[in-house]
Amino acid sequence: MKVQYFATLRDVTGKKEEDWQEPEATVGDLIRALVTRYGHAFERWVVKDGDLWDLVIVLVNGHDVRNLQRFGTKLAPGDTVVIFPPVGGG
Amino acid sequence: MNGWTGKILRVNLSTGKLSTEPLDPDSAKDYLGARGLGTKIMTDEVDPKVDPLSPKNKLIFAPGPLTGSYAPSAGRYTVVTKGALTGAIASSNSGGVWGPELKFAGYDALIIEGAAPKPVYLWIRNQKVEIRDASHIWGKTVPETSDAIRAETDDDAKIACIGPAGENRVLFAAIMNDLHRAAGRSGTGAVMGSKNLKAIAVVGSGAVTCADPKAFETAVMDAREKIQKHPVGGAGLRLYGTNVLTNILNEVGGYPTRNFQDGHFPTADKIGGETLAATLLQRPRGCFSCIISCGRVTKVTNKKYAGEGEGPEYETAWGFGGDCGVDNLDAVTKANYLCNEYGMDTISMAATIACAMELYERGFISRKDTGGVALEWGNAEAMVEATRLTGVGEGFGKKLALGSYRLAESYGHSELSMTVKKQEIPAYDARAIQGIGLNYATANCGAAHVRGYTISPEVLGVPMKVDKDTIEGKPALVILFQNLTAALDATGSCLFATFGIGADELAGMLSAVTGVAYTTDDFMKCGDRIYNLERQWNLAAGLTAKDDTLPIRLLNEPIKTGASKGMVSRLPEMLPTYYELRGWDGNGVPTPAKLGELSLTA
Amino acid sequence: MAHMLMINPEKCTGCHNCELACSMAHEGVFRPDATRVHVYSWEREGFSVPMMCQHCRDAPCITVCTPHALTRDPDTGWVNLDEGKCIGCKMCVQACPFGNSIWDELTHKILKCDNCGGDPACAKMCPTQALEWVDDLTATRRRKRAFTEKFKDAFSE
Repeated sequence: MKVQYFATLRDVTGKKEEDWQEPEATVGDLIRALVTRYGHAFERWVVKDGDLWDLVIVLVNGHDVRNLQRFGTKLAPGDTVVIFPPVGGG
Repeated sequence: MNGWTGKILRVNLSTGKLSTEPLDPDSAKDYLGARGLGTKIMTDEVDPKVDPLSPKNKLIFAPGPLTGSYAPSAGRYTVVTKGALTGAIASSNSGGVWGPELKFAGYDALIIEGAAPKPVYLWIRNQKVEIRDASHIWGKTVPETSDAIRAETDDDAKIACIGPAGENRVLFAAIMNDLHRAAGRSGTGAVMGSKNLKAIAVVGSGAVTCADPKAFETAVMDAREKIQKHPVGGAGLRLYGTNVLTNILNEVGGYPTRNFQDGHFPTADKIGGETLAATLLQRPRGCFSCIISCGRVTKVTNKKYAGEGEGPEYETAWGFGGDCGVDNLDAVTKANYLCNEYGMDTISMAATIACAMELYERGFISRKDTGGVALEWGNAEAMVEATRLTGVGEGFGKKLALGSYRLAESYGHSELSMTVKKQEIPAYDARAIQGIGLNYATANCGAAHVRGYTISPEVLGVPMKVDKDTIEGKPALVILFQNLTAALDATGSCLFATFGIGADELAGMLSAVTGVAYTTDDFMKCGDRIYNLERQWNLAAGLTAKDDTLPIRLLNEPIKTGASKGMVSRLPEMLPTYYELRGWDGNGVPTPAKLGELSLTA
Repeated sequence: MAHMLMINPEKCTGCHNCELACSMAHEGVFRPDATRVHVYSWEREGFSVPMMCQHCRDAPCITVCTPHALTRDPDTGWVNLDEGKCIGCKMCVQACPFGNSIWDELTHKILKCDNCGGDPACAKMCPTQALEWVDDLTATRRRKRAFTEKFKDAFSE
């Protein structure tokens, strides 16, 4: 699946996007795998108290997971996941 | 008085009369200041049926009771008048440092009446006020005006002025202050130009006093901490500015593209906040008393579009960018600089060009009509040239100066103008985000995003996430945001303070600085009252429920690509509930019961 | 270890919070004219700098002060103003090469930064640390270190 990074996450990962080869069943699995890869610098922008930080925008194929099942949202191969840390307004 | 100065300055440009009068404590209590006080003055003194560009219209500059204090990010003022673009009440909000200076000079409001027989500027140094000849400054750009007036008054004078666009009555001309800040929307600059008023220079050496300094300090420190802890208010906006929204809106499929023909722009990243931060950004900047610093000091070195200044903000980057199909950030930034120099609202300028591009692409406007400017989608050069022509008032720029509604109407296709009440819709697609569409249709000043910024809950998830695609609960949500914003605007606070604080904290700071006790309910009621007063004024001006609508494209044409493909605005399903919850009848008229609740008269 | 109010102009956003804090702390009102720290802005360039008394070791203001209202505290190194002794002659206004002694037209007082007795209100209010109350060795060496890091980067492989 494709994972795209914006704002501060681009600095943290050093990328705008990547092809994530591992199969991840849910958004939570994917985020945990990304935390393993990129460490605390990534985690602090996305995870709070072990759950998805309320102010983070995670889209799966354009749909905000906060209106789906949050970390429990299912993923399929070929999905596009977009992650925005809390930055925007105006 | 505390917080307030207790004094209003009245200037009649027809007679040359200068006078001051006390601020009525009841008006202050019920309407706070800025947008609220301005609306009250308009209600008491201006016939809603006047021609906006006639001497009978008034132009009111009003900061709020928090303006000039150290309440965080509360240095704003509002310009209230009858909008030249809309014929509705206009209340354009601006930051910078000019508003606080007017408070330090000793005034809660400046009322400009009549029209001067020839170009003048106003020079205010505390109690000393002069109307001075401006014929040698007429025609100058905003930066040139600032230099010229400072040379004649004071190096440290704060200047609010119009550029050539306001002088030429471009219907979306802005009033600029501190070079880069704008009371942008609804054509306030054209009203100022119609009064032959070039600028207002202010030096203020006085004080804003505080009723309870200890309580105020506590409330302010608490508010500051909350904003600083909030990721958007505390770090995000300083790092990336508002333009960080480009990619967010694009990814959720609500980024209006090519005059709202679509909701997704494939190369949006090239003009987004991340790219801006990595290329043109010099440093962040803040308004008076601001702790957020969302301002972008930028510089373009590319010879073709060279310039420096502040911006572009999100709406500007969107308008000159995706709305015109352009993905060249240098060009977008140049268009932004031109708008600041000539004094024009970037949203309306850009959206008018986008409309003209669609008319051109469809063959309703020819290259002969445009004087050779090829208004093709994505043509960055043409977009910048169209902006410049409008600023200087030449060629096709004279037609663009009418705004998209009158422009499109003149070619027989007003349905291609993406406006509400003749004001151009900003950078969020109403088909992809249901609540913001309802806000556009019902905002009293015409289509505007900040009047009821439901993008916060619907897209960002602040203060909590709601589904952007549902209509349930949206009327109540829009009303809540509209009322809170009206009250917030009336204090002089910046909307971005709500990334951290809300009505509770604002009511607390307001009470401590003024010494007048406001509960959170009182505060929200002020907002509701201001909103209804604006509505009444508009109804008396001749607007009706028919004007609470959206362009047919947003109601009927589904978005073609991106995450919100297939969606349309469900405004007609939300509007009746909105009227009902507002306490208005089926025609959108406030009922006697509602008016009574707010101590308003019919 | 002496402390100083360090100015980092590259961090200044031109918000004037320092002026408001100073004015409220000393005068009890918000009056940017009556402050000991002032912010100067160049709007075209979008650049601002806050400025206040630098508590010079060889202070010209002390030299010209006939009633000895201005004195130097040997322990802190600060230049202090005793308002009770000040006669308002404004010689210090003329003597300070940096313009940091200010005459307030409204109250007929000299306004000069006093470091708020060791807890400057301006540094506390500054949202970007453009003003910092730091031990003076750290302040000056930190900037030197930050700059020399550029050499490390330039010479790294």
